[in-house]
Amino acid sequence: MKRRFWSRRELLWRAGGGIAGLAFADLLAREARGAASVSPLAPKPPHFPAKAKAVISIFCYGGVSQMDTFDPKPELYRRRGEALTGKGEVVVSQGNPGGLMPSLWEFKRYGECGMEVSDLFPKVGALADEIALVRSMYALSNDHGPALFHMNTGSVLPGHPSMGSWVTYGLGTENQNLPAFVVFTDPRGGPIGGAPNWGNGYMPAAYQGTQFRSTGDPIVDLKPAKAMDAERQRRWLDLLAKLNAEHAARNPEDTELAARIASYELAYRMQTHALEAVAVDKESETTRKLYMVDDPVAGYFGRQCLMARRLVERGVRFVQIYSGGGNFQSSWDAHWDIQHNHGLHAAETDGPIAGLIRDLKGRGLLDSTLLIWHGEFGRMPISQRMNGRDHNPHCFSIWLCGGGVKGGVIVGATDEFGYKVAENGKSIHDLHATMLHLLGFDHEKLTYFHNGRHMRLTDVAGNVIREVLAS
Amino acid sequence: MRGVLVSLFLSWVAQGVEDSPRQVSEILAANCLTCHGEKIKMSGLDLRTRESMLKGGHKGPAIVPGDPNRSPLFRHASGLDQPVMPPGKKLQSWQLTVLSRWIATGAPLDKPIAASSDLSQSMAALEERPITEEERQFWSFLPVKRVTPPVPANRAWVKNPIDSFLLKAMEEKNLRPSAETNKRSLVRRAYLDLWGLPPTPAQVQEFLGDSRPDAFERLIDKLLDSPHYGERWARHWLDLARYADSGGFEYDRDRPHAWRYRDWVIRAFTNDLPYDEFARLQIAGDEIAPGDPDALIATGFLRHGPEANIKTELTRMDELDDILSTTTSVFLGMTVGCARCHNHKFDPIPQKDYYRMQAVFFSTKHEDVPLVPREEVERHKAENKRIDALVQPFKQQREELEKPYREKLIAAERAKLPDYIQEALRTPPEKRTEGQKLNVRQVEKTRNFTDEDVIASMSLEDRARHDELSKKIQELEKLRPAPLPSAMAIGEDGPEPLPSYFLHRGSPDSKGSLMRPGVLSVICRQELVFPSAPATAKSSLRRKTFAEWLTSPENPLFARVMVNRIWQHHFGEGLVRTPSNFGKTGERPTHPELLDWLASEFVARKFSMKQMHRLIMTSNAYRMSSDDVAASRAVDPDNRLLWRMPRQRLEGEIIRDSILAVSGALDRKVGGPGVHPYIDPALWQGSSGRTWPGKQDHDPTTWRRSIYVFSKRSIPLPLLEVFDKPDTISSCARRNRSTIAPQALILMNNQFIHLQAEQFAKRLKREAGLDPAKQVELAFELAYARPPSSKEKQWALEFLAAGPEALVDFCQALFNSNEFVYIP
Repeated sequence: MKRRFWSRRELLWRAGGGIAGLAFADLLAREARGAASVSPLAPKPPHFPAKAKAVISIFCYGGVSQMDTFDPKPELYRRRGEALTGKGEVVVSQGNPGGLMPSLWEFKRYGECGMEVSDLFPKVGALADEIALVRSMYALSNDHGPALFHMNTGSVLPGHPSMGSWVTYGLGTENQNLPAFVVFTDPRGGPIGGAPNWGNGYMPAAYQGTQFRSTGDPIVDLKPAKAMDAERQRRWLDLLAKLNAEHAARNPEDTELAARIASYELAYRMQTHALEAVAVDKESETTRKLYMVDDPVAGYFGRQCLMARRLVERGVRFVQIYSGGGNFQSSWDAHWDIQHNHGLHAAETDGPIAGLIRDLKGRGLLDSTLLIWHGEFGRMPISQRMNGRDHNPHCFSIWLCGGGVKGGVIVGATDEFGYKVAENGKSIHDLHATMLHLLGFDHEKLTYFHNGRHMRLTDVAGNVIREVLAS
Repeated sequence: MRGVLVSLFLSWVAQGVEDSPRQVSEILAANCLTCHGEKIKMSGLDLRTRESMLKGGHKGPAIVPGDPNRSPLFRHASGLDQPVMPPGKKLQSWQLTVLSRWIATGAPLDKPIAASSDLSQSMAALEERPITEEERQFWSFLPVKRVTPPVPANRAWVKNPIDSFLLKAMEEKNLRPSAETNKRSLVRRAYLDLWGLPPTPAQVQEFLGDSRPDAFERLIDKLLDSPHYGERWARHWLDLARYADSGGFEYDRDRPHAWRYRDWVIRAFTNDLPYDEFARLQIAGDEIAPGDPDALIATGFLRHGPEANIKTELTRMDELDDILSTTTSVFLGMTVGCARCHNHKFDPIPQKDYYRMQAVFFSTKHEDVPLVPREEVERHKAENKRIDALVQPFKQQREELEKPYREKLIAAERAKLPDYIQEALRTPPEKRTEGQKLNVRQVEKTRNFTDEDVIASMSLEDRARHDELSKKIQELEKLRPAPLPSAMAIGEDGPEPLPSYFLHRGSPDSKGSLMRPGVLSVICRQELVFPSAPATAKSSLRRKTFAEWLTSPENPLFARVMVNRIWQHHFGEGLVRTPSNFGKTGERPTHPELLDWLASEFVARKFSMKQMHRLIMTSNAYRMSSDDVAASRAVDPDNRLLWRMPRQRLEGEIIRDSILAVSGALDRKVGGPGVHPYIDPALWQGSSGRTWPGKQDHDPTTWRRSIYVFSKRSIPLPLLEVFDKPDTISSCARRNRSTIAPQALILMNNQFIHLQAEQFAKRLKREAGLDPAKQVELAFELAYARPPSSKEKQWALEFLAAGPEALVDFCQALFNSNEFVYIP
């Protein structure tokens, strides 16, 4: 049993690509033909009722150090400088391992749950009762490229649709005037691997993420290259519509031609809607402060978080924000000087993330919005290049919030050093299964037929992390 | 009541408890340990010890001591849970009782279970998956059967046998073929189909003016006799070959020699290289025609897959999987890749077939072969050495200049290290603990400072000297000779093939038997003999044998799959609508007899692709109008019986090419290295040194056909990407055809499109003069190959009356219109 709400006809038609991105209901009503198909982005119900309607993925790219943020390891202080032994082979990606290195940050207990969070994230820590922390995540690759693909697409190999593609494929989108799946990259550059991280893989282009810029026009080619005022553009569109109508008159039943005509009206509307959606200047002073949008350090990320809320509020289904871009110090990839590296990136993000949670809650949107804070892997308990940490795929911390997630929960544990999972390990497939579950999907049944196989985001694995579910 | 049951149960359990560990060991050894034991741990589960059972596999612990009904081991063995284990046979009820009892009493096990002695035998048995006679009878595995074309009632419509097959099927459903399209649509269709460029007004007139009965045949011949045909159809092949100019993955490094394969494919189509030879060269060019540079370039087919950053045994297996999956889906239309980890779930493709075919390719390695005489290679090397020697002293001086500054920076950094590391540094080497040794070595080896840091700390004088040295080095580097032209090819290390094995669950850690090379056993009843290579051979010649089998008449899939692809690109859909999946999960042919007739023609015509184009395009079917016919649509809304010509949306590449052709800007140069049109840096900058040396939109050197646009895996050209350009990660047999708003945004707003609209407007003024009516007429002729209707002309003139800038807007409207982006 695949997507039960698609008839075989529709499936065949989908396989043939077709109409996308359109407010189609009325158009099709006019067509009034049984064989007509719906837009792949029309809103669709999930497998079962669910609270979460939208997802915001905050991707701290480069690899956040778990023992410096959400997973305190006092043993590292007690045994500082000692060799890491007794945990099997010590594999480092860039050679020259040092001794155990304690965290440079203090941990404090927060909330009723008493969750320990380091001084890097005091504002997120203050919201500990809202978040469900998973300390026992593990990845499969200690190389950024494959690990990013793994987190984003469920496979370490390229060519697979990203989480956002799966979610928009499954649910469509609520606002046909905006892209369904929006990605904000860091001003210092995109993540390793580039656009395939939000690519549609083998799915139609309708499901690919659209990159939004945080300054200037949000979408490349959103505005005419030439100075064209609205009136001139309207006139231009009217001419185009007449030419197209003449052409379509011979084939009034061709939904593809009709879809293409409609896509111009949508593009036209998107020009204003996309600009409006990211107009953070329209927000109140209080809200802007909450997100720290005028802060010299946190402002950029704060603006992106605020834009993410505005997009979700307007029915956008999936937003992904990258903290960190390019290589090494401009991302969380702290191979050296972790004090500066994590200090900077946490200062950029702690306030805005907390602001986002508080704002979503205040507006009654937190219940329907699932927030996932994550990277692609963790870091080593031993030092590298004197004061940094190397990659560690064996364990890392992520947290979820809102969208049917139970707050104040801690799942799993790592060993005394934070080198490997000690109990209740959770895979990336488990995380994906959980995300889909919170959106109302049985991850084993959300499939896309490709090259002779019913493909899944969770491949042939994945168990929902039940501990984080509110009900 | 409950108490009674419990005591009954306990007394039942009491019997033979002593014995149960031994019995359980025997049962598990005989039935389970092959897959959940020492060599193979399917689902991560090892059943050899009590601890490993408690630890369990990916799905959690296998046993809950004391509770058989909550123990997955018992649940799966007894059929309480799916799948029932072991697969294919059921444990007997006494065995289940023993298992249950043993778990209920706490699952005692004092020593690891030893594998039964016939383990290697049972492992080998696991590799076998016989093929039944019934499976061999699946339509696509049967030999190509040539039937006499049927005789439809309306014989007048039949122009060649293709029409007979199609019409007969239509008549059975009371369908009538659509009327012939007009000549202007036909000429536009033929140009877009074979060249991917719209005809010029002169080319249209030439066809309209040719009143000879075979005018269309002559047009087809003319079109086929042009490199533009090669450029258009090579693009279809490059989709299949997952061709790209970079390696993908993390660094997505450029592949500076990849384009020679692209040019070779263009030449192969242009010169009508027979398809069997075309296939053989791509798989085994180095073995078939040693020393022939073109044959070496052709083997690039095996190298176009993405390339992992880190090389491990597993990434090599992935690379081989890419080769195998691509080769078999492209040439056989089979999803053999599905058999990497288990027997194919739907098709009779044993996992062993996968590993026997892997053995064909296992010894291959990457080789970049210079395409110049050996003396030149030597000269090139010597010249590089000479420059190395010139540069060296300057580099050394620079290093010496930097040294004290670097050391100072490091000393300052070390002073900041925490006490425990300072202590380690102070401790005499012989007294250091293991951890201290690690830390000291790390401190000594750490050089965290970038050149910029070091330069910034220099005195003004030294900085000037540093600049001077760097400039000198740069100047010398400029003297280096350009890289030699090379073939991105495949080679092997000699006649002796490397050993390769069956891999249980596809894991290199679970090696099974040594594999002999083989082919798809469902269509090759007797084991194909791969002769050993002579001692003097440069390779095992396994690929040559494989390629010969692949292209032989005994392989019914080879010709069928390719004629279906040719058909697909003429008619929008194949006769089999899943062109790389002729298996059970693929679609059945809509016209099986026609498919076989075409396949037999293809073989009879010595695999000439041009002859197949001619055959297909000279049918009456090809000339049908694409307009809707309500009555026919009611019977066959999907047009499976081909009662009309399907309207096909142009690919992004052809839209771009058409725009350039119509604006008059197209540079028709054939071949050469890829070009880099402008891409907004916001879309690519910053990542891992990935760069896109994009030229400006107004740079005419980028106004080439889109097949020459550099294909960088992580930085697709947005105009092509939004129109469903394949991701080049795996073979693409049929592009998605989305219609989405970002396509409209690009064609409406993009700088390049606007610039070409300006070129188009200039051309209209140049060629039609300043009379708006004449401009409109020429514009329609150029864009649509037809004059405007009076209504259209009136709209256009009204639009142009708005002012001087309206002409450019009008031109851009034509680029955006539906008529422009569809093959009529």
